[in-house]
Amino acid sequence: MALVYLTCGVIFGVILSRSGAADYNYIQAMFLFTSFQLYGIIGTAVVITAPGIWLIKRYGRTVLGKPIAIELKPQHRGNVAGGVLFGIGWSMCGMCPGPIFVNIGEGKVYAIAALAGALAGAGLFGAIYTRVQGLFRLPRLVVGTGDG
Amino acid sequence: MPLILHGLTPIHWAVGGAGIAIVTLALLFIANRRLGISTGLEDVCSFVLPVPYFARDAVRSARQWRLPFIAGLVIGGFLSAVAGGGFAPTWDLGMFDRVIGFGHAGKLAWMFAGGLFIGFGTRLAGGCTSGHGIFGLSNFEFPSLVSTLSFMAAGMVTTQLVYRVIF
Repeated sequence: MALVYLTCGVIFGVILSRSGAADYNYIQAMFLFTSFQLYGIIGTAVVITAPGIWLIKRYGRTVLGKPIAIELKPQHRGNVAGGVLFGIGWSMCGMCPGPIFVNIGEGKVYAIAALAGALAGAGLFGAIYTRVQGLFRLPRLVVGTGDG
Repeated sequence: MPLILHGLTPIHWAVGGAGIAIVTLALLFIANRRLGISTGLEDVCSFVLPVPYFARDAVRSARQWRLPFIAGLVIGGFLSAVAGGGFAPTWDLGMFDRVIGFGHAGKLAWMFAGGLFIGFGTRLAGGCTSGHGIFGLSNFEFPSLVSTLSFMAAGMVTTQLVYRVIF
């Protein structure tokens, strides 16, 4: 299965690379309202993905016969606060998390700094989770062995 | 507007959006995987940071797919560069160079700072453009709508401030 995920990643990466979704100028143009490209990409993706998810959920099984069970994301105050922080970062870097990896592959040297920052930021959040849990009403941690 | 990458012309937005939708649906239909890239940052952190947050079932059980997917993203970018004119490391940052004009060190500092916001923010919000913006919205999840509106608004305000007020 790892090869399937790798292949999906490669296709996704090429699309992000060639559509402008991983391009600093296009991200700024989206936020400056001077280009429709990114709105078109995200809008089209949602308009096609939505009925697709509905159909797959209706069918109820994966192509390999396993049950479809979509894990929903929790609702809490962090949705707004974290969203705002991420938006600032997306604007500054001109990259959201996927494009950080794509830009590194393309040879954009500065993207390595963006990745280092993103890992440090995620690490910081994990380290102080229990301290900000009450403030943002974050869910309790379910810690276990998992299957990974 | 050409891409920074070799000045290439981008593919049509409808093609890009459709391609993203197909990969998203393929992950769900083949392997019951919910698209989400920023959680992959946790997978990487979980190898080096022994705190409970990174020992969650949700992280450990997803390593086996998120890590190869992320590796694929890097390879996809590499192949795109090779096919589009060759792989050549570059510092080119488009309008940032023209308007803000920081040197290499300044650019790295700016990117690292932005990265901190991305890493902390996406973990606090519980997702990024892919997990909230594409998958969450498509699955009509309210927290994803709230998060998406928040990061779009903050991105607009930040870019407007940076390019229309500060620089």
